Amino acid sequence: MRSDFASPGISPPDPLSKKEGAPVRESDSEPRKSGAPSFLERGSGGRAVFLAAALILLFGLPFVLLGLLAVGENWRFPQAMPPAYSLDAVRSLLAADNDLLLGLGRSLLLAGTVAVVATAGGFALARAMAQSRSTARWEAASYLPYALPPVLLAVLIQPFIIRLHLSGSVGGVLVGLLLVALPFATLLMRSFWSAQTTEYEHLARTLGCTPGQALRQVLLPLAWPLLRTALVQTFLLAWFDFGLTNVLSVGKVRTLTVQVFTYIGEANAPLAAVASLLLLLPPVVLLLVNKSALLRKP
Amino acid sequence: MSELLTVANLSKQFGEQSVLRDVSFSLEQGEVLAVLGRSGCGKTTLLKILAGLEMPTAGTLLLHGQDLRPVPPNERQMVYLYQEPLLFPHLTVFENVAFGLRIRNVAKAEINQQVQELLAELDLWEHAQKAPHQLSGGQRQRVSFGRALIIRPRLLLLDEPFGNLDAQTRADMQQLFLRVSRQHQITSLFVTHDSREALTVGTRFAYLDQGQLTSFASVGEFVQDARTAIRSELAFWENIQQKLE
Repeated sequence: MRSDFASPGISPPDPLSKKEGAPVRESDSEPRKSGAPSFLERGSGGRAVFLAAALILLFGLPFVLLGLLAVGENWRFPQAMPPAYSLDAVRSLLAADNDLLLGLGRSLLLAGTVAVVATAGGFALARAMAQSRSTARWEAASYLPYALPPVLLAVLIQPFIIRLHLSGSVGGVLVGLLLVALPFATLLMRSFWSAQTTEYEHLARTLGCTPGQALRQVLLPLAWPLLRTALVQTFLLAWFDFGLTNVLSVGKVRTLTVQVFTYIGEANAPLAAVASLLLLLPPVVLLLVNKSALLRKP
Repeated sequence: MSELLTVANLSKQFGEQSVLRDVSFSLEQGEVLAVLGRSGCGKTTLLKILAGLEMPTAGTLLLHGQDLRPVPPNERQMVYLYQEPLLFPHLTVFENVAFGLRIRNVAKAEINQQVQELLAELDLWEHAQKAPHQLSGGQRQRVSFGRALIIRPRLLLLDEPFGNLDAQTRADMQQLFLRVSRQHQITSLFVTHDSREALTVGTRFAYLDQGQLTSFASVGEFVQDARTAIRSELAFWENIQQKLE
C-alpha cells in the first residue's frame, strides 16, 4: 500500500535531520533576528555605500574644482593644487562696475519671465489643444521647435526679430527663448487636460463656481504639481541657454551663461569659475525647494 | 405637488449625429426619475443639457415655468454627480463638503455647523480631516453626495453614481440615497443601466434608447416593457428557483 508520505507535495521525514539530543545550530532552530543583515544584505549594503560615494565623488568633484579655480592663483599643470589662494575674483563681484552681478540679474529676469509666461501660456494652449478637433496635428506642431538646434532656430528667426526692432534687446532674447519654452510647457501640460479634468471643471460649475472660480479653486490646485514642474523646467531651459541667446543678443544682452563662455574664451579661469558657481546657484536652490516633489514616492 | 421641471421636445445633434430626439418629461418636487439606458443611449448628454453644460439643438426646458436655457450652470442649482466621486484631492473631507458653501461666501460659523451636521448624518464625521485618498470607495461616494446635498440642489443629476462600487457597497449607497432623498425631499434624475437599481431608487421610471425617451405611467408598465429586460431577468431567477426545488 502506498504511504501517505509518498503523495506529491509531502515528503517523508528525513531520519538524519534534527535527531533528539543532536546539537542544533542556532540558525536552524530560530528565525534570524530582523535587525541583523544577512550576508547578501551586507553585500548589497556595501555596494550601495560604494555607489553613493562614487556618485558623490562624480558630481561633487567638478564643484570642488570650480571652487578651487575661483580662489586659486597661478594654478598651472602639473600642479595638483593651487600654489596660492586669493578671494580677489569673488570680491570683484561686489565692485560697482562688475558685470557678473548684472548678468546674474539679467539671467534671473529672463529665465523667470520665460518660466512664468511659458507655463501660463502652456496651460492655456494645452487646454485649447485638448478641446481642438485636430489635437494630434497641434501636438505634432509643438514638437517642431525641437527639430532644429536652438542656434539654427535663432538664425532663422533673427530676420523677424530685426524687423520687430528687438534685435540685441532683452525683449528679442525673450521672444526667442519663448519659442522654445512655450511648446515645451504646452506638451508638458497636455497630459493634465484629460476627460477627468473636464469632469472636475463641470462638477465645479454645477456646484456653483463661475468659470474663474472653477479655474482658481479647482483647476489650478489640481494642476499645481505639473505647473511647478513646468515652471522649474522652463526656468532651467532659459537659464542654461547659450546658443540662441548668443545669436539673438548680438553681444548686447550678456546673460550669465554668455559671460561664462566669454571668460573661458579669454582664459580668465577665476572669473569663469565664479560665474559658473553663480550659474549653479539658482538650479541648486530650485532643486532643494522642489526636493519633496522630485523625490516623491509613487 | 408642484411641477418643478418641464422638458419638451428636447433634441441634440452633434454634427450629423442625432443624440437626443424629442425628449419630453416632467418632474415634480421630491420625485426620483430613474432613467434606464444602455451605454451610448444619450443619457449623459441629457444630464449635461439639464445641468447647463451642453446646449440643446431644439426644445424647451422650464424650471418652475421659467426658461432654463439662458441660465449658466452655476446659477441653476442642479448638481451633476458622476460615476467617479471626483473629490478634490487638495481638500480634506470637511473642505470638500464645505466647497459649495465657501463658493457662496456663507459665514464661517454657518459652514461649520452645516458641514458638521451633514457629515454626522452621512456617518463621516470621524473622517472629516482625512484626505480623499484615505477613504474607501463607498466613503468617497458619500462625501461626493454630501458635497452636492449641502447646497440644497433643486435637482440632483446622477450619472450612474454607484456604478464603480462593489455589490454590497452599492446596495448600501442606494439605501442611503433613498433615506436622504426622502428626508430632504430631493428631486433627482437618476440614470442607470441596472434595472434593479432603477426599481430600488426610482419613484417614476423611463427608458432611453437611441436618444428617444419613453416615460412609464407606473412601475408595472416599466417592468412589462420588453426593452427593460426585467421580465426576462425575473424568468431567469424563477427558472433557477424551480431547479433548486
